[in-house]
Amino acid sequence: MLTLEILNGLSLFATLAVVALGLGIVFGLMGVINLAHGEFIMIGAYVAFVVHSAGWSHWISIPLAAGVLLALGAVIEVTLIRRIYRKPELTILATFGISIVLRQLMEIVFSKDFRSVPNPLPGATKAFGVLFPTYRYVVMAIAVGIVIVTLLAFTRSRFGMIVKAIVADRDLAESSGIHTGATNLIAFGLGAATAGVAGALVAPLGAVEPNLGLFYLPSAFLVVIVGGFTRLWGVVTGALIVAALQTALIHYYDAVWALIVTHILAVAMLQIRRSSASGVIA
Amino acid sequence: MTQKIQPSARTRCWLLISALLVMVLATAACSSDSTSSTATTTTTATPSADSNASVDDGAMDATAETTTSVAAESNEPATPEPDALSGEPVKIGILFSNSGPAGVFGPPTANIAELIEEDLNAAGGINGRPVETVLADDATDPSVGRQAMEQLLDSEGVDVVLGTHSSATREAAKPLAEDADVLYIYTALYEGGECSAVMFNTGEVPSQQLAPVIPWIMDQTGGQKWFLLGNDYVWPRRSFELARQYIEAAGGQVVGEEYVPLGTQDFSSVASQIAGAGADLLFPALVGGDAIAFETQAVDFGIGQDAIPRLANIYEENVLGAMGPAVTAGMRVTLGYFKEVDNAANTAFVSRYFERFGADAPPHMTFSSHIYDAAMLYAEAANAAGSTETAAVVSALEGLSVSTPTGDIAITDSRHLAQPIYVAEIQQDGSQLIVQTFEAVEPDESCDLS
Repeated sequence: MLTLEILNGLSLFATLAVVALGLGIVFGLMGVINLAHGEFIMIGAYVAFVVHSAGWSHWISIPLAAGVLLALGAVIEVTLIRRIYRKPELTILATFGISIVLRQLMEIVFSKDFRSVPNPLPGATKAFGVLFPTYRYVVMAIAVGIVIVTLLAFTRSRFGMIVKAIVADRDLAESSGIHTGATNLIAFGLGAATAGVAGALVAPLGAVEPNLGLFYLPSAFLVVIVGGFTRLWGVVTGALIVAALQTALIHYYDAVWALIVTHILAVAMLQIRRSSASGVIA
Repeated sequence: MTQKIQPSARTRCWLLISALLVMVLATAACSSDSTSSTATTTTTATPSADSNASVDDGAMDATAETTTSVAAESNEPATPEPDALSGEPVKIGILFSNSGPAGVFGPPTANIAELIEEDLNAAGGINGRPVETVLADDATDPSVGRQAMEQLLDSEGVDVVLGTHSSATREAAKPLAEDADVLYIYTALYEGGECSAVMFNTGEVPSQQLAPVIPWIMDQTGGQKWFLLGNDYVWPRRSFELARQYIEAAGGQVVGEEYVPLGTQDFSSVASQIAGAGADLLFPALVGGDAIAFETQAVDFGIGQDAIPRLANIYEENVLGAMGPAVTAGMRVTLGYFKEVDNAANTAFVSRYFERFGADAPPHMTFSSHIYDAAMLYAEAANAAGSTETAAVVSALEGLSVSTPTGDIAITDSRHLAQPIYVAEIQQDGSQLIVQTFEAVEPDESCDLS
């Protein structure tokens, strides 16, 4: 029973990490609060649905969703986000608007009906002495892989250094010859692409519908808030804390209290961060 | 470095707080939606305190998203009116969810509105006057629902409002009908307990769906130990409260009762709990996307229908279709109407529906069927009263019984509906087969207005 709960927790951790990753990138690194992040996930899930309807293998939908969302993210960055980097409060309104437009567009194209993507790996696998759904093992592996690769790209590469420089001081970075426009474009596109992958990964685990993003956005924000947003690794610690807390609380208490306690924790973390931040300044 | 990061951390904290505020606004609107959201959404009821909150909080978001859908549309009568009909048309307002999470149930109701007009006019109208239906969309949002009700009452001047939407919208719209003294027939399945001088409630209440069916399914399956899994709001909670009584009265026991928040996407921990509870029957009162996520994931955790038979009280065709026959085959659903109901009137009605609106039309189901029944009850009462005055129609409705494609239905003293309850079993090809019918099931409700 404990083994099973640990696997449940790890599975939730991997899903949360990949769901929150893109939000962590655009918020933590670029200061953009992307309320359309959930819709990026939703569109990724619809990519999986289209791939299934076309009779192709589900696995194709993962790179395809990344590609589609990379392109969509780039278009949104160029047409809208680019103009408001210096006014982060405007990003809330702008992306909120985008989220509504995307949701309605998908409703027009695919209707309000619930769609589904069949599980490509139905059934369970016996490991560590328990039966656990096979597809969840794969989701864990892919999600963890993508999180690690993305984190390395942003922390260990030359591109990551450039992003850090821009975050630290946009003007100084520009005057040192860094092309901030291109870097922002890539970072926002990559954030959207990870959301697309998350959507394609979770599609076989539930309904694909235009409102799907509304269910994932709060979880993504919880992870980013709990984990902290000044370093991208916060997404991993945040996902770990939220997943462990939720799994334990559901096991020992119930799902409603699990949600309440996680939200209280998020508010508390926000307060702690805020007072420590202002303490330094004062 | 630190000095650069700290100020930006503070700014970001403030930004996050504002973002959270926006999200709270959005989710306040959404939760009232999703409450109703799923299929049931319609039926979903939000406690009134809650719904008031969402009226206020949701307003901003709701107007942004839904202003276009507020407008009431008139349906022109589809057939030429017989010469016998004269005078001002009797206007039947229909308040329904055609957008937002419960919008998936809108299209069949809009289709049925056309058939209501057609059938009533063909039958000589109401007191010799032609009948016209007026549709208004609540966008699955109580604040929009209130505006839509206002429009029906004030701009359209309807004679009666038939409503199929969430309980949250009902709570928001009811005072307007009461003030205007216009008859308001709420037709969606819901948690029960409504009692107002201008209202009748013709949807299934949990006592009707469960009292006869729980002993029956225990007998059929031999199961004794129940697990109850529901979304966390008033309708599943009320359903489970009654289910527990009926289960214990039938000699069974409840081995687990769990609630999950609306919008739950990961059911792994809940599934493990169900697997460990040793249940041999499962009663899932989950709506929409939550139902689909749970059932899809449950199979891989070894607690699918094959392992633990289901009795569902809201799984309808949209939700079942998305789960797919591999998941749903064998599940039993208890509702007041399925399009498969086997009587001559219904067979003719359903084939007419699909001929008229196309073979791939959104299926006629319990919500649209109850709207049709309510219109027939209203017409019968208004004709008997010889008037469309609210007080006269209300007293003609009391005790009224009619036959419709649903079966024989009658208004009870509690201002609810004694109606047939059907149990459908999902077949290997995903179709629904009615395996049991309980005639004239009385609701366990009371309404004393004196």
